[in-house]
Amino acid sequence: MTTRREFLNLSLVATGAALAPSLAAAGGKATTKSLTTVRESSFIKAFDDFFVKTLAPEYEKLTGIKVGYEAVSVGGMLTRLTTMAETKSGPEITGTGLNWPFLFDNALADVSDVAGEVGKKLGGWHEIVQDVVVVNKKWKAVPWGNIGQLEVYRTDWFKEVGVTKFPDTWEDLLAAGRLLKKKGHPFGFEIGHGFGDNHGWMYPLLWSYGGREVDRDGKTVLIDSSETAKAVDFCRKFYQETMFEDVLGWTDVNNNKAFLGEQISCTNNASSILVVAKRDFPEIAKVTDHALNPQGPKGRYHLLNAQSLALLSYAPDQAAAKAFLRWLYDDKQLSRWLAAGDAYYAPFLHSYDNHPMWQPEPRYMPFKESLKTSRPHTWPGPQGTAASESVAKYVLVDMFAKACRGDSTKDVIATAASQLKQIYKAK
Amino acid sequence: MAVGPATLARPAPVEGRPVTLRGLLEREGVFSWLMLAPGVLFLLAFVAYPFFYGIFLSLQDRRVASEGVFVGLANFRTLVRDAVFWQVTGNTLKYVAITTVLKLTGGLAMALVVNQRFRGRNLVRAALLLPFIVPTALSTVAWMWILDPTFSVVNWLLVHGGLISSGYSWLGNASLAMWSLIVVNTWRGMPFYGITLLAGLQTISPDLYEAASIDGASTVQRFLYVTLPVIKPVLIIVTMFSVIFTFGDFQLIYALTHGGPANATHVFSTWSFDIGMSAGLLGMGAAVALAILPALVVLAGMIGDAGGPARPSGAGGPAQAPRRQIQ
Repeated sequence: MTTRREFLNLSLVATGAALAPSLAAAGGKATTKSLTTVRESSFIKAFDDFFVKTLAPEYEKLTGIKVGYEAVSVGGMLTRLTTMAETKSGPEITGTGLNWPFLFDNALADVSDVAGEVGKKLGGWHEIVQDVVVVNKKWKAVPWGNIGQLEVYRTDWFKEVGVTKFPDTWEDLLAAGRLLKKKGHPFGFEIGHGFGDNHGWMYPLLWSYGGREVDRDGKTVLIDSSETAKAVDFCRKFYQETMFEDVLGWTDVNNNKAFLGEQISCTNNASSILVVAKRDFPEIAKVTDHALNPQGPKGRYHLLNAQSLALLSYAPDQAAAKAFLRWLYDDKQLSRWLAAGDAYYAPFLHSYDNHPMWQPEPRYMPFKESLKTSRPHTWPGPQGTAASESVAKYVLVDMFAKACRGDSTKDVIATAASQLKQIYKAK
Repeated sequence: MAVGPATLARPAPVEGRPVTLRGLLEREGVFSWLMLAPGVLFLLAFVAYPFFYGIFLSLQDRRVASEGVFVGLANFRTLVRDAVFWQVTGNTLKYVAITTVLKLTGGLAMALVVNQRFRGRNLVRAALLLPFIVPTALSTVAWMWILDPTFSVVNWLLVHGGLISSGYSWLGNASLAMWSLIVVNTWRGMPFYGITLLAGLQTISPDLYEAASIDGASTVQRFLYVTLPVIKPVLIIVTMFSVIFTFGDFQLIYALTHGGPANATHVFSTWSFDIGMSAGLLGMGAAVALAILPALVVLAGMIGDAGGPARPSGAGGPAQAPRRQIQ
């Protein structure tokens, strides 16, 4: 039988053994033998694989520094980055999207030098991307590509109703949708609480009718306007005449499933639907195509979602991390990496405007074209925490959703205006 | 033969004799605290610290990766002026109240049934536990398919059974979405009630039923005057625990609707997550999470009251007996 003392001794020894490695690590000297990059796992597996199996070993061979890669499941990166920023520990380099460089400004290092050099070498940056990565005149992340949200549609079903070219305006799309719904092929645009496919078409719709959430000053709420009312009225009609009730509760997975399940004829999505169709549903892939978002009375817009790499300011060896970024964003590496991404990411560097990555699949070309008319969430308002709050509270999505379920245009706009005034602390 | 704790304890060190580590460890008081320490430290680290840190955060304008500024109750004042907060409060109360009633009645019925003797009883008991055993994330994915408009087996059955002409939008319609979540939560939580109440039922002596039957009590009367009073303490405690868990339910709602459509299914936990994590407003997010605190405090008090009479009377209860003997 174990005596009390023996038990206690055993417990102490076990605890000591368990703590030993972490204590040793904590006391160890910080040497740059390794770097870790954390990113949301790519929808294109080859893109991640190329980083892990080709780029990281190449860099290790060149410098002796091992580059680790931590993949975070889709939708989980913001939580991971929050934990890293709050605890000031974790990987040295992080992936960012949307307006995160603004949200995590205090936790990210200034990488203007790296971005400047990369831009100089590779033809300069697309101007729009600076709206989401340059914070107080400092580059807080180095972008590599945009995940565009475009129209994805069934060419065969559109032809069945006499539409051989994708409609150029929202009104024309509505007309085509009416015919398609009658034929049993409704549209399916997400109006629920997802994180991408709802905002992906709702902000462009609002902008294309001239509506805005907030002005450039971040203090003047502009949502209560006749332009917004027109967009809301259109959205209600668009939903009622081309879609079905379930889209109100959809999250980001639903429209992909519905399209590949041949339930819908058109949606707004990234190129992931076609990517999966090519892999698993070749017959559907043959009759799937992409198009730019339709234009409204005030133009054509798309949503910007710039994917970038940023350097955490807590990283002990900033120089080593920057050296890796410089190497990674050198044409020799970046060009091959982007090509591995199967044109899923539209690069923000002008040298890549005619990159060979666009050639194998012409159906991805609209994603490249969409960069010119892409704007960040809440544009033209500033990209700070208020913008994040508006997006996180689904102010715009719910404004449209409530109108679709039958609430009056006046009421839904008044609710959105009241929420935005609270968020932007406007009078 | 029962061995009392006193037989393990050594007498207190004699005055004047040097206190050795060995002697100290042999003292019951020291040793009990040493044994308790891991558990207490765990609770302090993972329950008390986050709780008090949450209160601290809720009193600050605290953005992610930034220093906080003390704002007192400003976050709570902002919340009560926000219409969505009241919608979320209503959703949460509705969700908790209805699921609790359904789980309680269903769980009690389940316990009464599986307490009977019948062939395959053990198999049935194991099967009924399945919803509770399967990880929520996994079962939620299954429900996602069950409630999907295209692939819904429920819609398929209803349409092919001739009951409806076209499928319902289980998650797209605001009312149906809340009811769908209630059904899924009830499905998952009922076994917790069932198995706990079954344990309570098995403590009831058959003599009581026999005596009641001899006195002419009907089945309903036996349930009302024998079963219910005996399992009442268990019933109250299991209900309170379930209510607390349901108040904090997150995974199921987040995965199925993420609070949509148009906030119709947002509850405190999902809304707090969106504000704290997605918007980076950690102070406000903590304030939302703490908004359920008053209700939970009342429930915790009720648990204490319900559990109180079950304890043996006398100061301190049996846990303090060894110390008295040492002293």
